[in-house]
Amino acid sequence: MPALVDVQGLVKHFPGERALLGLGRPRAVVRAVDDVSFAIAPGETLGLVGESGCGKSTVGRAILRLIEPDAGRVTIDGQDVVALGARPLRALRRRMQIVFQDPYGSLNPRMTVRQMLAEPLAIHRIASGADAQRRIAALLEEVGLDPSFAQSYAHELSGGQRQRVGIARALSVEPHFLVLDEPVSALDVSIQAQVLNLLAELQRGRRLTYLFIAHDLAVVRHIADHVAVMYLGKIVERAPAPALYAGPRHPYTTSLLSAVPVPDPKAQRQRIVLAGDVPSPAHPPPGCPFHPRCPHPKKDARCRTEPPALREVAPGQLAACHFAEQPL
Amino acid sequence: MTEPLLRVRDLQTYFVTEQGSGTARAVDGVSFEVQPGETLGIVGESGCGKTVTSLSILRLIPEPPGHIQGRNLLTLEPRELRAIRGNQIAMIFQEPMTSLNPVFTVGDQIAEAAIVHQGLSRRLARTRAIDMLRLVGIADPEERVDHYPHQMSGGMRQRVMIGMALVCHPKLLIADEPTTALDVTIQAQILELLDRLQAELGMAVMLITHDLGVVAGSADRVAVMYAGQVVEQAPTAALFARPLHPYTEGLLASVPRLDAPPAREHGRLHSIPGQVPAATAWPDGCRFHPRCPYAWERCRAEMPPLLDAGGGGEPGTHTVRCWLLTEPRRRTPHP
Repeated sequence: MPALVDVQGLVKHFPGERALLGLGRPRAVVRAVDDVSFAIAPGETLGLVGESGCGKSTVGRAILRLIEPDAGRVTIDGQDVVALGARPLRALRRRMQIVFQDPYGSLNPRMTVRQMLAEPLAIHRIASGADAQRRIAALLEEVGLDPSFAQSYAHELSGGQRQRVGIARALSVEPHFLVLDEPVSALDVSIQAQVLNLLAELQRGRRLTYLFIAHDLAVVRHIADHVAVMYLGKIVERAPAPALYAGPRHPYTTSLLSAVPVPDPKAQRQRIVLAGDVPSPAHPPPGCPFHPRCPHPKKDARCRTEPPALREVAPGQLAACHFAEQPL
Repeated sequence: MTEPLLRVRDLQTYFVTEQGSGTARAVDGVSFEVQPGETLGIVGESGCGKTVTSLSILRLIPEPPGHIQGRNLLTLEPRELRAIRGNQIAMIFQEPMTSLNPVFTVGDQIAEAAIVHQGLSRRLARTRAIDMLRLVGIADPEERVDHYPHQMSGGMRQRVMIGMALVCHPKLLIADEPTTALDVTIQAQILELLDRLQAELGMAVMLITHDLGVVAGSADRVAVMYAGQVVEQAPTAALFARPLHPYTEGLLASVPRLDAPPAREHGRLHSIPGQVPAATAWPDGCRFHPRCPYAWERCRAEMPPLLDAGGGGEPGTHTVRCWLLTEPRRRTPHP
């Protein structure tokens, strides 16, 4: 089946700012996204996982052109997103939407829920008047909110309710593809499960395709069909979810998995505690970007000099590690 | 049992709201004890009162609007209180970004407590600060001591916070969500550091967190809070093996886990319906009853006390605020 979303060689570099009021020496370029490729089949979910600053949110925004990518090809629904002019891009926005992490910052405090949901319907000339009201009521019901919430302002809603409004807003234009940027990480555990269940139901009902961006591997496991792990702007491992969780090939994936706290005091686990911090993406280490923190016993001079390519090490499983055949 | 290090009895912290929408009973009758050297985990979701509990113990809540009732620590004169705060009981906060003063070096900030509480000279306090940086695992402490917080990463700032808290060798460390703002690999580093320091220094830790995975790995005993009250308290192993309060049960079932089959394969993640009520309007009876799958008339009418769940050990080892303990046969969910 052809992919609904196809990303090839995506690059986004942010120029370093000049120190001293713009007069000093420019700082180093931040390589936020450095040659990222993946595809998502219709109706599937790709989980994009990594720690703060790895570039995962920049990927999500660059493929929707909320920020302009520097290089690469992005195809959504058969259309080349990067090449589109302003007008066809706006038309394509009906097909691709985003839900943001912070349900407190992403809703306009001066608008009622009704106004927030009516706006996209008006912009894209989908519905107005009584038809729009009917659609808004149906959307609220679909995301598990009573239609009476249409009168509410964001501050009257809890975090979980706000995130449901954010999802309803994204769905209002009937997109095929949703970027979900940490949609549950600001929510409490009991509410997080409600929203994850809702996202799964919506995906089944509407045959949606998701790019699910998250830092929490345990959450991603419950929703993703495929998982890509990012480190310093690059994908270091990509695989079908069951394969990645059962047998990670990149030492970074293994370390991330081992660091997730398990709610079982009897669990006998070998926690790999990585040394040091993530290096700055303005000064990535030479060779394998992970080598300064890598716990692999075999790491050698090659890791310090030669960047490992992302290559297939098992059917469907790609890893960028010289020692992917001998995983941790 | 030995004499507890900290005994909290019927702690109440109420906030009078400005719009006159009533009194927020943020902490409403909380009791627990911390034994020397142990780790007590306090778990709950946003708004359950766990942070207000810890701030109240050190009397860091401004009065008004907060009003704290209780005894001992709470009746101390300000001068006596200062001798305890930071010296015998120290605290680290969730936000390593905002809890350090940006205009002082980290060395000055660590040294301050040693100068104030232990009367060290500036020179000795600086040496102590370098020792503390080394203790919390910061490389090149002689150089780092003169750095400002903005020159450090989130994980390093949290290490500095821990160094600051431990400089006077407190008997009790209150750690309020110490790893929540950190990435998972840095969280693992900080949890390991806290474990190691606790073993080396023999202090007790009150670990406040929303993450059941974190308490499972670190705490000896756990108190679960909901709506301003402790609803279940037990040794960690017993709590996870046999959660008795329906809230604890639901919370444990809601956590997405790496060690269980993913929900994708068997349908849905368990979730607790509804949401946490507002502190100005806790429900009557048991405060969890509107979200509880087992609730019956008595739960709506009468607030349950903390009941002893038995299960080996001394009385009071495992306590649960739930009427199910008196009628266990009702533990079948409503359709």
